[in-house]
Amino acid sequence: MKCPICGREAAPELCRYHAEAKEKIQAAYSLWMKAYGNIEWKDFLDNVKRNPQTGQWVKEIAELLRG
Amino acid sequence: MSSGYTLVICEKPDAARRVSDALSEGESRSERVEGTTVFRFNRKGEEFVVCAAQGHLYEVSDPARERTVYPVFDVEWYSSDLVDEDSASAARRILAIRKLASGASKFVNACDFDVEGETIGYNLLRYACGEKEKSAFRATFSALTEEDLVKAFDDLKPQEELGLARAGRARHAIDFVWGVNLSRALSQSALGSGHRYRTVSVGRVQGPTLGFLVEREREIRTFVPVPYWKASGAFERDGMKLTAGYARDRIETKQTAEKIRGECVGREAVAAAVRRNTVQIGPPVPFNIGDLQKEAYRAFGYTPSRTLQIAEGLYLGAFISYPRTGSQRLPPSINYRSIIRGLGKVPEYSAHAAELLKGEPKPAQGAKSDAAHPAIHPTGEKPKHPLEVSELAVFDLVVRRFLAAFGPSARRELVEATIVVGEHQFRLAGGRTVFPGWMKYYGRYAGYRDVEVPLVSEGERFKVIGVALEEKFEQRSPRYNPSSLLEKMEKEGIGTKATRADIIATLVGRGYVSGENMEVTDLGLSVVETMAEYVPSIISTELTREMERKLEAVEGRSGSEAELLRETVRSIVRQLAELSANEEAVGREIDSAQTASVAKSFVLGKCPVCKTGDLRIIRSKATKKRFVGCFNYSNGCRASAPLPQKGALRTASKPCERCSWPVVYVAGRHPWRLCVNPNCPGRRKP
Repeated sequence: MKCPICGREAAPELCRYHAEAKEKIQAAYSLWMKAYGNIEWKDFLDNVKRNPQTGQWVKEIAELLRG
Repeated sequence: MSSGYTLVICEKPDAARRVSDALSEGESRSERVEGTTVFRFNRKGEEFVVCAAQGHLYEVSDPARERTVYPVFDVEWYSSDLVDEDSASAARRILAIRKLASGASKFVNACDFDVEGETIGYNLLRYACGEKEKSAFRATFSALTEEDLVKAFDDLKPQEELGLARAGRARHAIDFVWGVNLSRALSQSALGSGHRYRTVSVGRVQGPTLGFLVEREREIRTFVPVPYWKASGAFERDGMKLTAGYARDRIETKQTAEKIRGECVGREAVAAAVRRNTVQIGPPVPFNIGDLQKEAYRAFGYTPSRTLQIAEGLYLGAFISYPRTGSQRLPPSINYRSIIRGLGKVPEYSAHAAELLKGEPKPAQGAKSDAAHPAIHPTGEKPKHPLEVSELAVFDLVVRRFLAAFGPSARRELVEATIVVGEHQFRLAGGRTVFPGWMKYYGRYAGYRDVEVPLVSEGERFKVIGVALEEKFEQRSPRYNPSSLLEKMEKEGIGTKATRADIIATLVGRGYVSGENMEVTDLGLSVVETMAEYVPSIISTELTREMERKLEAVEGRSGSEAELLRETVRSIVRQLAELSANEEAVGREIDSAQTASVAKSFVLGKCPVCKTGDLRIIRSKATKKRFVGCFNYSNGCRASAPLPQKGALRTASKPCERCSWPVVYVAGRHPWRLCVNPNCPGRRKP
């Protein structure tokens, strides 16, 4: 099984890097919710993608999750 | 002792010239032996011949030198030309020294006094001069000035008493067997996965250093910034306006930030506490090589290897003392007054020197010491010819740091005022230098700026005219730069002061790290991650640190190099067994990263014409010439452009500002930058 983002070995659906990025982005959503009071999941993903501080693998996973 | 001359072996040709000038009082004559220059003169009735190596003329290698063969533990020292075909000049130098040795009755090793210099001299005395390493004498000096050299030759020591060579030779042997076995095993694993042979290199210090970079890279690439807010208040009293930041640096939620604004604007504020205190800041300690490399990076952006190269040039010119030192201490034996007096002859430093000579100069001393050399310091010799810009910059930094070490403590006044609005506090902070002390000598490198704070007294009342809220995001950790990576290596106790800069440069050369911002490539990531999974000891900092400790024990003669070599072999055998057990998986992962990395190196960027294909470097089957072409050719895109046929190409991080085509750097003696678009409006018309 290959990672749909980078083609590395995936276990089971993402490679270890993008799996780690996915965990981090999911954990960060609750912090953003708290910071803004409320934010839609899709708006959150768009904001994360646009932010210059966001890591490359997080941007890629945000793109995938945004669909 | 039979009659014959004294043969002096120096590490570099420039050092040989300085030694002969100093000892002969300018009466030496140069001659050519086997195409290399040597110097001959008489001193106190004794005939001297001074010759030079050119760095290491002997290297550790295995007899077969076959890249597919491992394990290899039977290693020997060979002349460099046998190991590396590009080192033909090494053979000439060895031949010259061998010829000169036949007429010599006394031998002096005058190479740099450290592990590497001792090893260079030892090998030449042993192999080129016919086992004279034990009967030879040693000249030890920390600067190539006439005074230091004459003193060193008046006080020659028996070579064996000062043997750092055993440790140096052991270090070379260990690094060789470590690197060659693991690199060959890894390269063979990747080859077994079905692609053509490509070298995958790992080294004893290189592995853990790459490990630091990868750890940081993963942190950066998986970073998700979290928002927070900062608030600052605008206050007014009798027409005087001032701004102060909210006492809490980080406000977690937007709601809290807005609440603060709502509770402050329009209200009355009181200056509750104004604190002023004066702090003393002691002078900086003298430079060791690591400190100089870090400071040169901070001040001029020079990489550690560049700074080392410049410093070595200044040492060979006798402008500064030996730079590869770990010491932060200046002993009185270097003669402080004489050096300061010498610097006083240079107009830029004359006023500072005169001031320091009014009293009894006593420098600040650091905690680190080095038995072989003092901290880096100027020799007091005035440059006789104009220095290059980079040489001048490093020379100025060394001189000013030296002078600053003798300066008195500086004093700075720090002011902090708290302004209270109900439950909320705002802070004003600043500081100014009230007595420059050593900062005057260190000049622009001192790095303290004055931030004035408006005069505010306790109990003064203001009106809050506004509170500005600023949305911020957490900043990710910065990537290591060459200077901070060097610092990390020092802190972790891996590598030596002489090798760290080269190891950093090697990581770039191997394609594990790209550019000065030290971004780890997919290949670098893959090598470390694969090792972490299957052979973690290859990237273990602890193992490398332990090895450094044992090598230091050998240098200090409390450890046995033979035992250390045996231990290294046992450790490598274990690692090779682990690699062998996982050969297929290791090979697959590294091969796939290598293939991806090579493919990526051919992609210059998105095609600005069709906007969908990639512009790639293609080699024409007919002409064998390289050019740029769009990979969307089959869908009709005809974007293409010629490329220079010589020099390695590296893609710039940003496309051309004028036309959006990719930009490449072309390597060579004079590297240049090129927008690949032949019709770019930025190109100069012929």
